[in-house]
Amino acid sequence: MMATALKWSRHNLFGKPFDALLTLTVVPGVLWLIYEAVAWALSTAQWDIIPQSMRVLMIGVFPADQVWRTWVAAMIIAALTGAALGSVFAFRVRHAGFLAVALAALVVATGVSDPGNLLYLAASLALFIGGWALTSRVPFSHKFLMPACFVGLIAIFAVMAPPGAGLWGGLLLSILLTLVTSIVTLPIGILLAFGRRSRFSSVRWICTAYIEVMRSVPLIMVVYWIWILMPVLTPQFDFADVVRGMIGFTVFYAAYVAEYVRSGLQAVPRGQTEAARSLGMSEFDINRSIVLPQAIRVVVPPLVGNVLDIFNNAPLVFIIGLTDFLRAGQMILANPQYGDRTYEVYSFLFVTYFLVGSVITFVARKLEAHLARGSR
Amino acid sequence: MDAIVEMKGLNKFYGTHHVLKDIDLSVSRGEVVVVLGASGSGKSTLIRCVNGLEMYQNGSLVVDGYHMPVEADRLLGGEKELAAIRKGVGMVFQQFNLFPHKTVTENITIAPMRVRKKSKEEAEATALKLLDRVGLKAHAHKYPAQLSGGQQQRVAIARSLAMEPGLMLFDEPTSALDPEMIGEVLDVIRELAADGMTMMIVTHEMGFARDVADRIVYIGQGSILEISEPGPFFDNPRNDRARTFLARVLKH
Repeated sequence: MMATALKWSRHNLFGKPFDALLTLTVVPGVLWLIYEAVAWALSTAQWDIIPQSMRVLMIGVFPADQVWRTWVAAMIIAALTGAALGSVFAFRVRHAGFLAVALAALVVATGVSDPGNLLYLAASLALFIGGWALTSRVPFSHKFLMPACFVGLIAIFAVMAPPGAGLWGGLLLSILLTLVTSIVTLPIGILLAFGRRSRFSSVRWICTAYIEVMRSVPLIMVVYWIWILMPVLTPQFDFADVVRGMIGFTVFYAAYVAEYVRSGLQAVPRGQTEAARSLGMSEFDINRSIVLPQAIRVVVPPLVGNVLDIFNNAPLVFIIGLTDFLRAGQMILANPQYGDRTYEVYSFLFVTYFLVGSVITFVARKLEAHLARGSR
Repeated sequence: MDAIVEMKGLNKFYGTHHVLKDIDLSVSRGEVVVVLGASGSGKSTLIRCVNGLEMYQNGSLVVDGYHMPVEADRLLGGEKELAAIRKGVGMVFQQFNLFPHKTVTENITIAPMRVRKKSKEEAEATALKLLDRVGLKAHAHKYPAQLSGGQQQRVAIARSLAMEPGLMLFDEPTSALDPEMIGEVLDVIRELAADGMTMMIVTHEMGFARDVADRIVYIGQGSILEISEPGPFFDNPRNDRARTFLARVLKH
């Protein structure tokens, strides 16, 4: 054991004089950084700010007596993500158990103690596991995943709207923005991708122009443009900032989804279309049943990467005055009483973003493996 | 005899490249026509014109009573004629082109259900019968990638037959197969011929061509150079280029 470790380090860390130099400077440096960080986290840092501001971080300035609405939204999200996971990743009791333990550890670490919240949290977990088990055990239910997502989104809007959409915020807003954008851009992106290959040059032109324009400008500008344009274009409706932000994100990311889907469409061999044509199938049937399923299979990994991209760009909605997760953290720090807790709050933001992002990349990797197995 | 395919003065260009030159050819019901020629001679293009996978620029092509629109008309829509022709013409490709995301049964049932509006039960019953006919009944629920090349090609034949075509086109059906699998596919095609199916076949299997063909069409550089019965064609070709072609391919 000792001998292999020595051999390993000799080979990998001290192979050449330059390697040795690198090792001797980098390793102590990293160790020192870790020591400092841990020492700060365990002794100096005053973490009490996190549980105290948990509500603002999670849901922004949503009224305290209406919190149940956000919990209902969270439960719907949990059920939907569980169902989405189950369609690609087989449900196992020990995985569910691990998840429960991890969540319990998280609860203890963040000091959530309100019994009502704990109950809601348990319900969310149960729904997540339920959705996961359902789609994993009943393959037939996959067909309803996409419609269920749309119904779920509408339900979330319905339940969260009454106190005023201007009050949505925090991590919940970031997640909602990501979900809405990822789900709504999918059908739009598919249509645009097909439009770009259309026989009719007018359709082809419009779709190509749309995609190219969106891909040549910054997200933040599209969001801002939509925000200032919508009151002019639809004066009869008073869309909330949140809705306008979501539309901005959707308008922008639909172009990216379209390009991913197009690359998938190109990956489907021409022989597939020819075979379907020779059987007399209509172009619509060919695209829907032969080409699209094969194309989507190819592009699911980059599409999941796109979801991560959307989530990580969600903080940009501050430009239209929304309070997403990052902004909620800054809001807490704006309180003079908490002015000296900058590092604590930003550490929490960092870890949370990292955790959510890791979950998404984990799912992407599982998906890739799942699809590789399916690509017969 | 009653012609199912009638080509008159058919011309096809790829840009300025003249691929098919003044093709006159008619195929009668129940007849098996084998198209031979060196690679690049236009033989695949010829049979791909019959179901409209390739467009032609001028001349006329009538398939089962429907006029195949020329390219200029196709672009303006002539979709109805095209759809009617494709319904009645089956095609088997060199690369099988089975749908990889569908099971063997689904591959066979999708077109009858979508195009002929058959019920699922009816389509599946037909599929099973056809699979039995090509000797693959046991593989009904597998995916194409789980089958060998020869088995895939037999599924592809069953898939075409499920549409009850009046004419079958074979575009080098055994060229992508390992030698030991060629026989099983050719046997299926032979049985079809024996059952009276009208077929146009492009192949490099000379022995098979001689067995199965009623007529041989020899193509060189886009023109039909000779049309004869297989016996005279193989023993004593009239055309010089056909003679050198045969000398080359029959040497092995």
